[in-house]
Amino acid sequence: MSARPLRLRNPYALYLIPGVIAFLAVVIVPFAMNIYFSLTHWQGVGSPTWAGLENYQELMKDSRFWESFRHSVAMVLAMAVIPTAVGLVVAAALFDFIGKHFGSRLAGVLRACFYLPQVLPITVAGIVWSWILAPENGSLNELLKAVGLGSLQQDWLGDPKFALYSVMAVMVWVQLGFPVVIFMAGLQRVDPSLHEAAELDGTNWWQRFWHVTLPQIRPEIHVVMLWCTIAALKVFGAVYVLTKGGPADATIVPSYFSFSTFFEKTDVGYGSAIATVLTLIILALTTVGLRFQSRSEDAR
Amino acid sequence: MVKVRRPLALTAAALAGVMLMTSCGSSDGGAEGDGKTLKLWHYEAPNSAMGIAWNQAIEEFKKSHPGVKVEFEAKGFEQIQKTASMVLNSSNAPDLMEYNKGNATAGLLAKQGLLTDLTPQVTKNGWDKLLSPSVTTTSRYDAQGVMGSGNWYGVPNFGEYTMVYYNKDLFAKNDVKVPTTFDEFEQALAAFKAKGITPLANGGAEYPAHQYLYQLALTKADRAWVDSFELYKGKADFHDAAWTYAANTLSDWVKKGYIAKTSSGAKAEDAGVSFISGKSPIFFSGSWWYGRFRDENKFKWGSFLFPGSKLTLGSGGNLWVVPKNAKNKQLAYDFIDITMKKGIQNTLGNNGGVPVAAEPSAITDPSSKELIENFNKVSSGDGLAFYPDWPVPGFYDVLVSATQKLITGSASPDAVLDELQKAYDAGAPTS
Repeated sequence: MSARPLRLRNPYALYLIPGVIAFLAVVIVPFAMNIYFSLTHWQGVGSPTWAGLENYQELMKDSRFWESFRHSVAMVLAMAVIPTAVGLVVAAALFDFIGKHFGSRLAGVLRACFYLPQVLPITVAGIVWSWILAPENGSLNELLKAVGLGSLQQDWLGDPKFALYSVMAVMVWVQLGFPVVIFMAGLQRVDPSLHEAAELDGTNWWQRFWHVTLPQIRPEIHVVMLWCTIAALKVFGAVYVLTKGGPADATIVPSYFSFSTFFEKTDVGYGSAIATVLTLIILALTTVGLRFQSRSEDAR
Repeated sequence: MVKVRRPLALTAAALAGVMLMTSCGSSDGGAEGDGKTLKLWHYEAPNSAMGIAWNQAIEEFKKSHPGVKVEFEAKGFEQIQKTASMVLNSSNAPDLMEYNKGNATAGLLAKQGLLTDLTPQVTKNGWDKLLSPSVTTTSRYDAQGVMGSGNWYGVPNFGEYTMVYYNKDLFAKNDVKVPTTFDEFEQALAAFKAKGITPLANGGAEYPAHQYLYQLALTKADRAWVDSFELYKGKADFHDAAWTYAANTLSDWVKKGYIAKTSSGAKAEDAGVSFISGKSPIFFSGSWWYGRFRDENKFKWGSFLFPGSKLTLGSGGNLWVVPKNAKNKQLAYDFIDITMKKGIQNTLGNNGGVPVAAEPSAITDPSSKELIENFNKVSSGDGLAFYPDWPVPGFYDVLVSATQKLITGSASPDAVLDELQKAYDAGAPTS
């Protein structure tokens, strides 16, 4: 038997090796460790003790955990659904109206303005918004008072009735720029002759938007929805800066719950279980989203 | 002859790079210290009393240890709090580190064997003789990491306690008498409210609110009650007379307008600024505000101990701890010894801190004298009752959430006490 040189079917596959190693080192191994720790009781130092599925059983009964996921649904609304819907309208308005009547330069400037919150570090944006929403001397309350609507003044971030909606409103502001930029890029890709043909058929703007524009930019919509939904499920920075999950857990989300369990309670096992469940949910949603996207693209 | 294909060579180079980076990242040095470098971490602001005193201590250390380099790294409180166990578990631990005291912090590290037992050094250097018994409670931890007994794992150089800060100008302007009893205190609150002023500065999103709650409980408590709650020397019952009174009174104060409902989302900084700006005439909080108020208040102000209570929140200050993996432990002990000397202690006292071993005659600033005298009064009367978030890990968040519910009225005092009991019982040691 003679030794044969090792040959890969595709020599370029070798280029993947560094990436695979890096992926293993920074994603797979830590995730596997996270799963392992979620099956233990551990305070972060010393030796973990094996707990089996105890942390997960406890998690299923933990009302804070379920409450945090209910808030995640609200965050999906604020960070994915609303920005996508509003972003579509804004992008279409900038493209079809501002761009055509006032020039592409103004449309570009406005697009940049919408995108600005995405560029700001979330901690900076969060601190500024906490000043705006402050109960005493906050800009929003002062503005309401100045225009004679003082009765509407609220403790926006400190009252459990309003805190979640306030954080959601801030996140709509933060997220809006992303869909606007993506959709405007998508709109530039749409063949103008389709619109011209529809216009000749006597359609109005709304009909053209609904029947021509939307189907044409469906891939962009899928990407934005998927991206923003994942961002919503992972949201942490804004909650940390604005409310730290309060008042009285009114804005707690899974990532903050996991963080506080890890570092405040030093219950690493339980914190890992929360993080594992969150990761699995995000993976499942991503898989479903990608499948849905590829299936709808295949159907085109 | 081996023929190296280009992709293979590139891959090998990339792999070598990755391995090189990995090896750099995991390099842990592991060598014993050479006695020439003191690696020191603390998290005091440079302009705070402690920051000023520790800087002076570094200079004195350099003079008394020629040829020894001090590698000081300024850390954030949160940074050390959240990463200490991981750093101390590695060989990158500093030689000396400032750390927070309590069962869930220094106690946890001591229990896990990450800190050096300082008992022989404490005895040898006579540090124990300089500290009052109630100050040393937070320095000693038993095998379970519970404070109050066992070996010394940390040394505090300063003390801290809570007091009532008040705006003398606003009291005079509104003709409100400075209270000396609890009844008079409530009368003062009512008098301000009657003038349309919310009297108490408060931050519900952070510690101030639950410190009000704990202080109210302390007015009905004694040392045995504190020991049960903090040191597990009995059963902590959140539905006992003290906690029930505290929760009901805090809720009542909100209803009466002594504490703003809108303070539920306010941070500690907001509460302090509310007092500094002259908006709130009264702020109950810790001695850590003292220096700042002295620098920033544009009005006459003073302080007094919470009326009607022998106990108040307070303890020895943050601890100097020596990690088990420290490489130059003797240098660390030498540094601690310098911070206990009169010169450094006097500096602490003259900059708005609460030294534990200063010369009374060397404290020249009258307001500092009052601050230190009050601490000595509380400390020598066994009145330091620690902090409510210490007993179990994660209790700080629970207290914040519970007091927010009291402030917003989203839960009854009874339900709030249930919540506290549940979290406490889940975290307290069972044996």
